[in-house]
Amino acid sequence: MAVIEAEHLSKRFGKKVLAVDDVTFSIRAGAVTGFLGPNGAGKTTTLRMILDLVKPSAGSVRILGQRYRDIPRPATRVGALLDSSGFHPGRSGRNALRVVAAGAGLPDTRVEEALTMVELEGAARRAVKGYSTGMKQRLALACALLGDPEVLLLDEPANGLDPEGIRWLRTFLRARAAEGRTILISSHVLAEVEQTVDDVLIISKGKLLAQGAIGELTRTAQPVVRARSPQAEKLEALLTARGAAVNRLDTALAIRGPASAEVGEVAQANGVVLHELFTEVPSLEDLFLEIAGTRREL
Amino acid sequence: MISLLRAEFLKLRSTRTSLGLGIAVLLVSLVPTVLLIAFIPTHLLNGGELGAGATLVTYIVLVFGILGMTNEYRHGTITYTYLATPRRARVMVAKLIVYGSTGALAMLAALLVAQLVGVIGLPMRGVSYHVPGGGALADYARQIGVAGLVTCFGVALGAFLRAQVVTVAGVLIWALLVEPLIVAFKPGVGTWLPFNVFGQVTSSTLATDAGNVAAHSGLARPEAFLVSVAYIAVVSVAAVVVSMSRDVT
Ligand SMILES: Nc1ncnc2c1ncn2[C@@H]1O[C@H](COP(=O)(O)OP(=O)(O)OP(=O)(O)O)[C@@H](O)[C@H]1O
Ligand SMILES: [Mg+2]
Repeated sequence: MAVIEAEHLSKRFGKKVLAVDDVTFSIRAGAVTGFLGPNGAGKTTTLRMILDLVKPSAGSVRILGQRYRDIPRPATRVGALLDSSGFHPGRSGRNALRVVAAGAGLPDTRVEEALTMVELEGAARRAVKGYSTGMKQRLALACALLGDPEVLLLDEPANGLDPEGIRWLRTFLRARAAEGRTILISSHVLAEVEQTVDDVLIISKGKLLAQGAIGELTRTAQPVVRARSPQAEKLEALLTARGAAVNRLDTALAIRGPASAEVGEVAQANGVVLHELFTEVPSLEDLFLEIAGTRREL
Repeated sequence: MISLLRAEFLKLRSTRTSLGLGIAVLLVSLVPTVLLIAFIPTHLLNGGELGAGATLVTYIVLVFGILGMTNEYRHGTITYTYLATPRRARVMVAKLIVYGSTGALAMLAALLVAQLVGVIGLPMRGVSYHVPGGGALADYARQIGVAGLVTCFGVALGAFLRAQVVTVAGVLIWALLVEPLIVAFKPGVGTWLPFNVFGQVTSSTLATDAGNVAAHSGLARPEAFLVSVAYIAVVSVAAVVVSMSRDVT
């Protein structure tokens, strides 16, 4: 069953910026979906459209089968962490949560539970203006968790977290996912979510480039043969003539098409000395960069 | 709606804005009253001086209303507010109720403080204090009502304009400078301008001032009250309508 369904969703800001361009996708229930794309790709805008904060210019999006604004007590079913939402600097962390809880019709006991979950009890009495970036991020996560929602939308939740915090977040999200919750998590760094997600959506310049299970994406990935040679230029010319796609930086080559055995044979047949020859299966990160079109070779 | 009202009251209580409002109201209700009672010749002391701070309180609650709404945009808390209550009209109604009643309460507090100053101060100058009677009480009641209305007007303007500094500065310049000028040079138009209309709801004290009678002869009290409510309704509805299509980013 799809928890979120977007159909031909577009958003234009002013005349010039087409932030989201005719995007159609669906998010499975109970899965962790990574929403990936470089800066300015349209991730935040899409998440805000799902939550009825940004009005689509065209198309529609449904969450839990309806528009967000039609969900009764939405905060108890959908939790959201958004990058530019904020807290009143003079309010304490606990009071910031109490305000959100009150608005959602939740008891103050939930506030204490959420504070414990994000390990922020110690700082709960302090004013938010004295919080570090990571502490604010934890507070925002606590806001998302207040209503014990079945769906979590997280916009770059790892922002501002230290390595330990990122590991904590990963474990935390896995635990939520194990409970059968649906999680959509945006990031511009795949490595950050690689170990957590089941599915991915890849977006760039407002367009959806790929969606599907993460295993399927890696299976389609083409291996790269890497070679190093003092006669790299000569080898490059030979391989290119045989139809391979070659990138060269100084003495290093990245070759797509032929297998490493073929590269070695070509080199041997033409008297090219090889210092290094190996096959690299691209990591998901490489794949992501390639799909998103921001890969810089070598 | 109940949880929304609770949330709004909690927002008020949990920042310094409410403390600031309390201090400001206390200051403007104490200082002018104390000064007047201390320095006016005894034969001129008639109890009227006890309302001296009321106009200032009105401007304070106006700014308070504007801040109440624009702070949400300024600090980005509007995102959480709309996530919990995606129906934006409801948020507007809750703000109007909570801020309107708080503004009215602030005026009530200011008037009580002024009476307290009278109870203590007047006998010290050898003048006896009289508990305000029917006419004065009705005046006070109207001032309390107008304070509530003005606060609501501030909320509505804040919701419509969103930018905090611009709204506070613009509204104060309009209320203190532009409107009085228009009233002076074009009284026919001036009668209908919002802050002048609010003033006319409580115009009984002004009416005794011969020079002002002409300018204020435009609207009877009930009319002025209705026009005030209309102003708030129009700006609130406009703010809600505009907010429906506005992006929260
Ligand atoms: N309120 C706005 N007004 C005008 N343009 C906007 C607005 N919000 C976003 N944009 C534009 O829309 C595009 C997509 O922005 P968005 O914030 O959705 O990207 P993102 O994928 O979240 O990027 P990042 O990884 O940097 O957070 C960008 O070109 C951005 O400049
Ligand atoms: Mg973003």
